[in-house]
Amino acid sequence: MPSGTLPMLILRVLQSGSLHGYALAQRIHVLSSEVLAVEEGLLYPTLQKMLVKGWVTAEWGISETSRKVRFYRLTPEGRKHLKAELSEYDRVTQAIQNILRTA
Amino acid sequence: MGEIFRRIRYLISRRRFDAELENDMEFHREMAARAGRSNFGNTLRMREQAREAWGWTWLDRLGQDLSYAGRTLARSPGFTVTAVLVLAIGIGVNVAAFSLFNMVALEPLPVRDPGSLVRLERRAPQDYTSEMPYLSAVFYEQHAKSLKAMIAVLGVPPMQMDDDLQGTSASFATANYFSELGTPAAVGRLFDPARESQATAPPVVVLSYALWQHRFNGDPGVVGRTVRLNRKPATVIGVTPYEFASLGGQTPDLWMPIVQQPYFVTGSTVLTDPAASSVRMWGRLAPGVTVKLAAQELKTLTNELRRQHPKDIWEDEYIDIHPGGHLQVMQPEMYQVAAMVALLTMLILAVACANLGGLLLARAVTREREMGIRMAIGATRARIFRQLATESVVLALLGATAGLGLSWLGLRIVLTQFHAQGWLSAKPDWRVLVFTFGMAMAAAVFFGFAPALQIARQRHRKTMVRQVLIAAQVAASCVLLIVAGLLVRATLHVLYTDPGFAYEQLLSVDAQLAQHNYSPAAAQTYLDAMQERLRALPGVKSVSLVKLPPIGHTVSRMDEELNGRRLPIYPNWVTPGLFETMGIPVHLGRTFYAGEKNAVIVSEAMARREWPGKNPIGQQLQNGDAKDTVVGVAGDAHVNAVNDDDAVEQYWPAQQADMPEMVVMVRTAGEPDSLPPMIKGISESIDAKLFPEIRQMKVLYHDNILELIENIAKAVTLTGLVAVLLAAVGLIGLVSFSVSQRIKEIAIRMALGAGRVQLLTAVLRQFVWPVAIGMAVGAGIAGAASRVLRIALFGVSNLDPASYATAILVLLAIVGIAALLPARRALRLDLAKTLHYD
Repeated sequence: MPSGTLPMLILRVLQSGSLHGYALAQRIHVLSSEVLAVEEGLLYPTLQKMLVKGWVTAEWGISETSRKVRFYRLTPEGRKHLKAELSEYDRVTQAIQNILRTA
Repeated sequence: MGEIFRRIRYLISRRRFDAELENDMEFHREMAARAGRSNFGNTLRMREQAREAWGWTWLDRLGQDLSYAGRTLARSPGFTVTAVLVLAIGIGVNVAAFSLFNMVALEPLPVRDPGSLVRLERRAPQDYTSEMPYLSAVFYEQHAKSLKAMIAVLGVPPMQMDDDLQGTSASFATANYFSELGTPAAVGRLFDPARESQATAPPVVVLSYALWQHRFNGDPGVVGRTVRLNRKPATVIGVTPYEFASLGGQTPDLWMPIVQQPYFVTGSTVLTDPAASSVRMWGRLAPGVTVKLAAQELKTLTNELRRQHPKDIWEDEYIDIHPGGHLQVMQPEMYQVAAMVALLTMLILAVACANLGGLLLARAVTREREMGIRMAIGATRARIFRQLATESVVLALLGATAGLGLSWLGLRIVLTQFHAQGWLSAKPDWRVLVFTFGMAMAAAVFFGFAPALQIARQRHRKTMVRQVLIAAQVAASCVLLIVAGLLVRATLHVLYTDPGFAYEQLLSVDAQLAQHNYSPAAAQTYLDAMQERLRALPGVKSVSLVKLPPIGHTVSRMDEELNGRRLPIYPNWVTPGLFETMGIPVHLGRTFYAGEKNAVIVSEAMARREWPGKNPIGQQLQNGDAKDTVVGVAGDAHVNAVNDDDAVEQYWPAQQADMPEMVVMVRTAGEPDSLPPMIKGISESIDAKLFPEIRQMKVLYHDNILELIENIAKAVTLTGLVAVLLAAVGLIGLVSFSVSQRIKEIAIRMALGAGRVQLLTAVLRQFVWPVAIGMAVGAGIAGAASRVLRIALFGVSNLDPASYATAILVLLAIVGIAALLPARRALRLDLAKTLHYD
């Protein structure tokens, strides 16, 4: 996937509720009709960066397999950042499409 | 903002965070495995990458590097000890020099509010004096709103305490001296402004701690006792503490209130004469006042004072204000000397660093395998460089700590040797610690970074850096040796050069008639009687009078320019017999007749400069409105300027008006040691009011001049030798290393029939250029920088060829030995063994 878009995708997915890491990866995979696959090696570093920046927080919960695991939740800063990222993405995508259509 | 908090929170509870992450990733794997996909990836690496997001990896790496550096250094103790020793010397010398400078100029005196103390001196475009009339000081105190308090100190010659033969050092000070400085009394009390401000108050004296211990055995009963000073009784009121810090670094044994000075010195007009510049003045700035503001106000007041006493104040005179809260008020020349010393100590550090750098490069070859392995498993060059740099920093810090210890030791020795004031201590204060740390970092950069760079790029086998290092060491050692040579030469010069007058058997007897306000006629009576009685003493060869005695308290000089070169003329007023008394030969003409007018005698050097090639006798010199005729030419006698080679003298016959300022000079046949008590007795019997200061010229000469230059020369020679030895050790190391590297090549050459000389040339050729360039650069720097030393060189030129030649020869010898010693090893090779060795 285009680099730098993963945080945006994670934030969007978390908007509808908190998830643990694996579920997050699964959801992205499923929602993108199996086009995008998030590797462990990319997911967790990204999640750590988002934790540092304060866009998500982690809280303990029980998974569907009755295991204690951390669930990631969107924070208000995260929401704000998501809005900003979405509008920026739209803008850039529009611009690119304009060029591809007409040039 | 919140980000920083989160990062710090991570740092604190690292283990918990890491465990949580591990848990997450493990869970992820489990779930993935269940779904049938197994993610083969390097778990550890992924965890590491995830952890990097928190931004503390540099801390981790630093910890790793430090522990690795520690282990590496511990594994080769020989190298580590040598390196730390070399660094300890290099850094220690710098720290010691800085500590001294700190003590003298940076550290504030331990008195009350040193920041607001200022020193006031008189200055004008052509004139300068560090003292001012007491009346002026009082005037400024009364009118200056920018000064909260005024402190004046009057230094006087030693006073006779009770019936002692030797005088005791003494000083007068304003009644607020101790209270302004906040000095507590060790016993009794110190000056009280309320009680000691009246001239009619009972005379009191404060003793120094040293005097109290030596003379009164620390007996607290001394308070209230009466002592006689110059035969005037005074009550002891207290003793200053051991850690007493006085202004201006003076340590007199006796302190008396300045308003009582006329009591102790009968007839003195020091307190009432507006022209007598005799007290040193300090002030305290009023709160909120800056030095600039105070200087402006004082300038206005000086102009006002000039209007009131036009003859006593110079034109365009102003009061020079400096911060006074330090041990020494720094004059510009002192900064030059300090800079020179700093340069010299830096040179030693440079030698040490270059030395160490060479050692590190040599070691690099033995660590090739280690580096190779590390690069193979993925270390970047930057990582290796960082790790090597950390090693250097650890070495530097170890060396700096050792250096700090050495410096502390050295300072303690110096302080006890010079009987420094009680409050000066060798303990480093924060400035010294910061300086030491800074030096350690600088050293780490100098000796560590170039080798580290080379090693990281695996280019350490190239010899360029090594050669530069050798050149640097040789240059620095060269400078140090040359400077040492110059100073040694100056010492010899002073020791064996005739100063022009016979100081071995000469005494000066100064009765300070002017200070006691004697009229010329009364002075003449006393002096005539003294001269007559002294001549009658057995063992006395000659007696006469001079106004400015050698190594005296006052120096007078007139600077003129003749043909573009400066001509410092030292004037003096003498009675006719002086030349015989002081052993100054009169080469041409004659000495004066008694009371002769409009006659002058010049020194040889002056005659040569003023009238080259002509007969000086009969020539005329302008003297105000009149003309003086030259009646004689005396030998050069640097009576008042032993270290000024350009100095010339001019003598006028003393007239009666000069009498109150004249000093009696006595020449003895044998040792003058037994004379002082007899002279005192004679003076007492002629006039009991006077307490003449009797000084032996040879003691003064030795103490003031010889000892100082000897010590300086010794110190610099020692450091020069240390530097050269360091360079030699470094060179030996590098040459042996070079030999061991090329041992196969040498063996083959030998087998093919190369002669000894050819072999030696092959091995040593790479060192010839660095050594030659190093010496040239070193000599050049020494030549340029040694101009500053002219003051200390006592007439030896700073480009003196003998010193330079000696220094270069010594350096060549040591370098030669250092190079040849290990090279000889190459000649004793067992060919067969060497060629088979792999």
